Amino acid sequence: MVRFIFWRLARTFLAIWALASAVFLLSRHDLDTALRLALPDAASQTGAGNALLPGGEQAALQALRHRFGLDLPVFYVSRGPASPAGIRPWHWHGRRNQYHQWLRALTHGDLGTSFRTGETVAGRLRHALAFTLPLTGSAAVLAVLGALALAQRLATAPWWQRPLRAVLVAVHGLPLFVVALVLLLVFANPDVLDWLPTYGFGQANEMSTSPGQRLADAFLHLILPVSALVITAVPELTLQLTAALQQELGTAYATTARAKGLSEAAVVRHHALRNALLPTLAQIAEFLPALVAGAVVVEVVFALPGMGRLLAEASAARDYPVLIGGLLLTGAVRLLALLLADLCYFWADPRIRWQS
Amino acid sequence: MGWLGLLVLVAAVAPLLPLPYPPGTPDLAHMAVPPFSAARHWLGTDPQGRDVLSILVHGTRTAVLLTLPAALLAALVGGLAGAAAGFWGNTARASFSYWLMGAGGMWWGLQLPIPALGLALVLVGGILAVIANSQSRPLPTWPLPVNALVMGTATALDTIPRLIVVVALVASIGLSATGLLAVLVLTTWPPMARLVRAQMLRVRQLPFVEAARAAGLSERQVWFRHALPHALHPLRTALPLSIAGLLGLESTLSFLGIGLPPEVASWGRLLATVRIEPSAWWALLFPSLLLTLSILSLNTLSRLSISRT
Repeated sequence: MVRFIFWRLARTFLAIWALASAVFLLSRHDLDTALRLALPDAASQTGAGNALLPGGEQAALQALRHRFGLDLPVFYVSRGPASPAGIRPWHWHGRRNQYHQWLRALTHGDLGTSFRTGETVAGRLRHALAFTLPLTGSAAVLAVLGALALAQRLATAPWWQRPLRAVLVAVHGLPLFVVALVLLLVFANPDVLDWLPTYGFGQANEMSTSPGQRLADAFLHLILPVSALVITAVPELTLQLTAALQQELGTAYATTARAKGLSEAAVVRHHALRNALLPTLAQIAEFLPALVAGAVVVEVVFALPGMGRLLAEASAARDYPVLIGGLLLTGAVRLLALLLADLCYFWADPRIRWQS
Repeated sequence: MGWLGLLVLVAAVAPLLPLPYPPGTPDLAHMAVPPFSAARHWLGTDPQGRDVLSILVHGTRTAVLLTLPAALLAALVGGLAGAAAGFWGNTARASFSYWLMGAGGMWWGLQLPIPALGLALVLVGGILAVIANSQSRPLPTWPLPVNALVMGTATALDTIPRLIVVVALVASIGLSATGLLAVLVLTTWPPMARLVRAQMLRVRQLPFVEAARAAGLSERQVWFRHALPHALHPLRTALPLSIAGLLGLESTLSFLGIGLPPEVASWGRLLATVRIEPSAWWALLFPSLLLTLSILSLNTLSRLSISRT
């Protein structure tokens, strides 16, 4: 069994490496735009005031290239310029290339430096994670708990099953950003219902004095984003789990449990649930990295300074080191989710261990 | 169904419709006008003064022209790759001459030193294949791990959520409709390939495939003419769902301001303008209504095709 998990993790690891490498190599195609976008920020940071003059721009670009190590060749081999004979010869660069240095830094845990702000990528990611983890973490826990509770009720087929199911199917079709926008415009709009604050998470923290107040403020700011994530995540989980539960309730052991005189709710809770959980566990493993992606949308809508907004802004500004760092981090979450799911499989169904 | 037909129709005739205002140009006299007001903007204007109705119509065109080809191409790529992986597994064997031809072609394509050598390899491979065919004496074959190749690529693309991959790839390719189309196809085909592969694993055990083999057809003919049409069945339900997913993805991307160039009208971009002017409910209501209706009817379509099979 350990071997099985090991191979799965190794394959996922390989996939993440391949993807990050592909993005890394692709990003080097179009470097000039990225550098030009990064130029004003980075130049003002180094104090080169005349960088925006046309004459100084070339020099500033060259300096930037040198600083980020971009004047080295991209990969181990490259094509030279076309010779008169029409043949473009291959060059071997050895270890002095961007890819090798990137990989080596990566194995030492160094994700590189952001093009735009000059901070280390790891630092920016850590700063953003401090906002994102409470958001996605609480959303994940709430969504799973909500789906469990709802599915258990739905499986016993009460009278409100049909309308609720229709609502769930309808919500399932909505894109996340529509849900988030509707929530934003209804609950945080001075014209409609001015219940909750929208923007300014983070700045308000410094102004309020006591830690209790700060916590309450953070809580108020997180209500809407978390509920947007939960609303989009719950239908998928619930519909799947309900279907699995209903199938389990039709089996012989469920009938036996009923014949013992147990109530329907007890049959669901103590007998059927554990067997119905297996596919849902796989779904949750898919769902943890997806929450990071969902955070992209939610954080842009609610203007939270987290991972997702960092990624979206990095994409618009071509800040490749940050993008690749985000990609790798999502991959790490994925690895973790796979490991957790496998462990949960053993807990839910001990037979799996013996079979393999 | 009728709704989807209407959308495609609108997309097809969008440039011909007699709209009072073009989609891209701002009407600076009427910014953020509510709908049904005097100024001939039937559905109002967004906070930058662009006509909502014409953005909606042209946004429909963008959405249809982007998602339909993306979904169809992804179905084609995913179907063929998945079917090949399911049918041959890792046991496919390519003849020696084909290996020679492939290696020679690669040599020539990469322009390694002496490109003529690559061409010569292709030529030798071709001649060998012709000779082997005419004398009906098979050449030695080497295994080609189709299954491992396809599933490995699919896993690599599947591991990280689609939105993150698209965001990262789009940044490195740049803003353009064709680039976005390529990225969408690249990230959409793996689930389809998985579906078709699973179905193909079942189909290839069925008696009629064996019968076709016994009738003396070549492996490729059995695969393409007999097994493939059955293996493609699950795509009938998967295609509407993937179009719905692409529709949501496309509007999410334009909402975030990545993907399409800013002058292209799209639903997502219209929705993004709501954040500038929160009281402009019409810029939120109409596009999200369109989006929701289309996604829901696509979902219904896929459920219908389940119940019909």
